Amino acid sequence: MATTDDIGRELERPSFRIDPSKVGELARSLFDEDPVYRDEEAARAAGFAGLPVPLTASTLTSFNAEGGALGAAAALGLDLGRLLHGEASWEYVRPLRVGDALTGTTTVLDVTKKEGSRGGTMTLVVLGTEFRDAGGDVVLRKTDTLIERGA
Amino acid sequence: MSTPSAPVALAAGDAMPAASVGPITRTDIVRYAGAGGDFNPIHHDEPFAVSLGLPGVFAMGMLQGGALAQRLAAWVGPEHVRTFNLRFTGQVWPGDVLAIEGTVSGVADGIAQLTLTATRQTGDVVLKATASATAAPADS
Repeated sequence: MATTDDIGRELERPSFRIDPSKVGELARSLFDEDPVYRDEEAARAAGFAGLPVPLTASTLTSFNAEGGALGAAAALGLDLGRLLHGEASWEYVRPLRVGDALTGTTTVLDVTKKEGSRGGTMTLVVLGTEFRDAGGDVVLRKTDTLIERGA
Repeated sequence: MSTPSAPVALAAGDAMPAASVGPITRTDIVRYAGAGGDFNPIHHDEPFAVSLGLPGVFAMGMLQGGALAQRLAAWVGPEHVRTFNLRFTGQVWPGDVLAIEGTVSGVADGIAQLTLTATRQTGDVVLKATASATAAPADS
């Protein structure tokens, strides 16, 4: 169970290289059949330097992390059966590129408790993640609000 | 319409090409789980979801959120979005059809402010999104 004691806690994500096959798979799973996401020739013909990267590709960096996309929630002891994603934000410092090896550091920014409208105590957790490329530059900032509904 | 690589001309009041996604199937949910890495059983394990008192599995917010993001990228270019915010305001269930809409709320100093939504066939808004993107000067 996440508490205010968790505020400031840091969770590291191991490096993940943005891989072309994962880019194509992700775009297609998001109902995007544009060949620019899976065919380099099509991407170059459309004016891209290489395959463009989906805006929500930060999720791919969870593949090498313990617990995958749910690793932070699990590390904080949140109950997956009561977990909701409340909000997600991205600040793109520069476009991600295929071949980028990204590491992420997630910081627990806030933990608040609220009495739920249907009883039980709701927990809201705000996570901030900075993603750095192999050169150490921050390329993406992500913020997530997770909600654990009252039991 | 092809995904643009260069900034596109955007002016206040411009609408994104309307898009529809679905009917969303359990297979779509599982495909996104594998592609994106979200293996919370609540999204693919029907007996687990039912044991929690739910009618069944439902889509992870990032499935419809990512689908909306792809429509945004197809509109303004994936490399020209500067900020993107998604609020998950409702759940999406197998069989749902989502209407994805967006408009330019304003443009200042070459940056367009955009608002987008995804709405179920019931009229429930399941995503409220905002974004900012670099725009080319509007055609006059």
